[in-house]
Amino acid sequence: MELWIDFARGPLFALTFLIMLLGLARLIIIQIYSIVARKGRRLINAPWKKIFREALSWVIPVRHLIPGTKIFSIVSFSCHIGLILVPLFLANHIVLWEDLFDINLPQLSSSVADYLTLFTIVCLFILFGFRVFSIRLRSMSRKSDYVILIVVLLPFITGYMAVHPKMNPFSWNVVMLLHLLSAALLFILIPFTKLAHIVLFFFDRISAIHWQLRPGAGDQVAESLYGKEAKV
Amino acid sequence: MNEKAVEHQETRETIIPVRKYPYYIEKPPKENRVGRFLEAFAAVLKYSDYKPLLDSYCTSNTKCNRCAVACPVFLATGDPRDIPCYRTNLILDIYKRYFTIGGAIKARLTNGFELTEEIIDDMLDGFYRCTACRRCTRECPLGVDHGLITRLARYVLSLIGIVPKALQVSVREQLEGTTHNTSKVPKEALINTLEFLSEELEDLLGVKMTFPVDRPGREYVFFCAVSDYLLEPETLMGNAAVLYAAGDWDKWTVGTHNYDGINYGLFYSDWHLENIIKQLVAEVTRLKGEKILIGECGHASRSAHDFVPVFAGKEAYPVTNFMEYTLKCIQEGRIKLDRDIVTKRVTYHDPCNIARSGWIVQQPREILKAFVNDFVEMKPSGQDNYCCGGGGGLVSIDEIHEFRMSVAGKIKAEQLRQTGAEICIAPCANCKKQLKELVEYYKIPCTVMGLHDLILKAIHIPGGKSPQERKEEAALMEM
Ligand code: SF4
Repeated sequence: MELWIDFARGPLFALTFLIMLLGLARLIIIQIYSIVARKGRRLINAPWKKIFREALSWVIPVRHLIPGTKIFSIVSFSCHIGLILVPLFLANHIVLWEDLFDINLPQLSSSVADYLTLFTIVCLFILFGFRVFSIRLRSMSRKSDYVILIVVLLPFITGYMAVHPKMNPFSWNVVMLLHLLSAALLFILIPFTKLAHIVLFFFDRISAIHWQLRPGAGDQVAESLYGKEAKV
Repeated sequence: MNEKAVEHQETRETIIPVRKYPYYIEKPPKENRVGRFLEAFAAVLKYSDYKPLLDSYCTSNTKCNRCAVACPVFLATGDPRDIPCYRTNLILDIYKRYFTIGGAIKARLTNGFELTEEIIDDMLDGFYRCTACRRCTRECPLGVDHGLITRLARYVLSLIGIVPKALQVSVREQLEGTTHNTSKVPKEALINTLEFLSEELEDLLGVKMTFPVDRPGREYVFFCAVSDYLLEPETLMGNAAVLYAAGDWDKWTVGTHNYDGINYGLFYSDWHLENIIKQLVAEVTRLKGEKILIGECGHASRSAHDFVPVFAGKEAYPVTNFMEYTLKCIQEGRIKLDRDIVTKRVTYHDPCNIARSGWIVQQPREILKAFVNDFVEMKPSGQDNYCCGGGGGLVSIDEIHEFRMSVAGKIKAEQLRQTGAEICIAPCANCKKQLKELVEYYKIPCTVMGLHDLILKAIHIPGGKSPQERKEEAALMEM
């Protein structure tokens, strides 16, 4: 068992993490390349200030607490805090980052990390509940939307159990292995599923650039479908 | 709501669209709509720049559903099919399945999504229930621009012949007809109208203003929604009064080759958008003008302001909305407005096309504050305003009047009622038409008018009758 844990903690972690990084890098590169290639100099005139201002309005999204979605919004916004902080700054993880990449990250005190983890788990469960019980949300959700929520939940739950042996009915080794494996699964899924919004959120936001349509394209489309004499 | 939701629980393929509000299509395609749709979509993707954005959207779209409560249409119907994100996913699914590698592989492995005739029905219904007001975009944490997607879907649909007849007929006249405008107003009728307006103005203000037609080398070339010449003489007279009082009467002109600012291409087609813009710019070039001055019209302003720089190349003249111009005149002290004329309570409706981007929000308010004493805001207003319910070209489609009233405009009507205002300013040809119909439908005691209609009442005209005198005259007339 320990061998497995070592494997999951070492090569498997490194590999899946690398897959995630490369996958995300691929998304970013494709986006930047295709936008620059297609829009070229027109990018200079884009309303960058506005784009950044709008994006920043979501860091502390008080303005966006509109009636009808208040609870959902508060929960989903706040679960992101734990989703970002815990994986990066938990004491046990910091050792990992040091081993692998030789970087020193600041540490989250263990009680804060504890509460944050619990809080995140609760939030994720509530979100899951929304997907199941809200007709509105359910009507839009596909299988993957549920599966992904579970995949995100797993490392948090197993991680919490590993740190709190008292709450853990299984052996530490099993839980730890599950923790590592579910994290690996999460890493792999990130660049290929909607979780990719951790980098794509920025590219989603720049629709102002995409409104700058390509001159001549309309005529080309019409011509290719209906020939030169295309009529309205 | 529950009934609809239950119906919706079945998989998407089995949904039979309930098209309660059908619109006329000139020659609806009958055969192989799926194949033709895909062919048209492929052509659009090949020649235009939509790919990166669609890639990003279809990977990262989290379907969090926050947009639902931002959308006036969904709020009115509660039908999940009116959720912006649901609708956007109609087209994203097609893109993913047929135009990405991942989607193609997935389709081989599973018998997943296929484009069907029913989905085409769903789209032709759904995308003309959206008013493209882009309110939802501001509430999407990822900033997904559902307005842009609606427009893209309509564009592809239009390429296979699915487009409301009302829009298509107007655009055809504008691009291929003899009058080059959407309302088929011939040049002679334009000149007659201008003469008529000039006489009216003389009666009203006591000064003679002859409208400048086809004068070359003027600073501003003026375009309004051509329907204003037929339906909104007061707005135009207000525009004229400002130009006259500011001493700019010899700085502007109307052209007779093209005098229509309307651009339905903004609502459904890149092809038409570009060619209408080019036609507009050509007129300014012909008249050796320097700037484009757009009258009170939201979508005309946005299409010129945003797309002249994109499509006109070297001829990209600066675009000014008339309200910007008027505010400048007030700030420079070139026109004076009388504070004692308008005593009624006034509110302001923000046309989505100029307000959503934050371009024109403060200007009209500053103008109003210069002469209106009892001004109330709608809640919410400005960039977060609700669409009047006639956006995205819907207002021109007469056959869906009931939809515009009972669904799309429902929230707006409520908002308007709550202000208790007697006058609602809507500086946009489309919003004005829709709001006028709304106040009638919901029996709200409120008059809808343009901003310059009101200015016309309060403006001081050098050498003419004073606003007070005019007010008394009008009161006499009413008696
Ligand atoms: S653009 Fe407006 S009408 Fe269309 S989905 Fe968004 S909020 Fe609703």
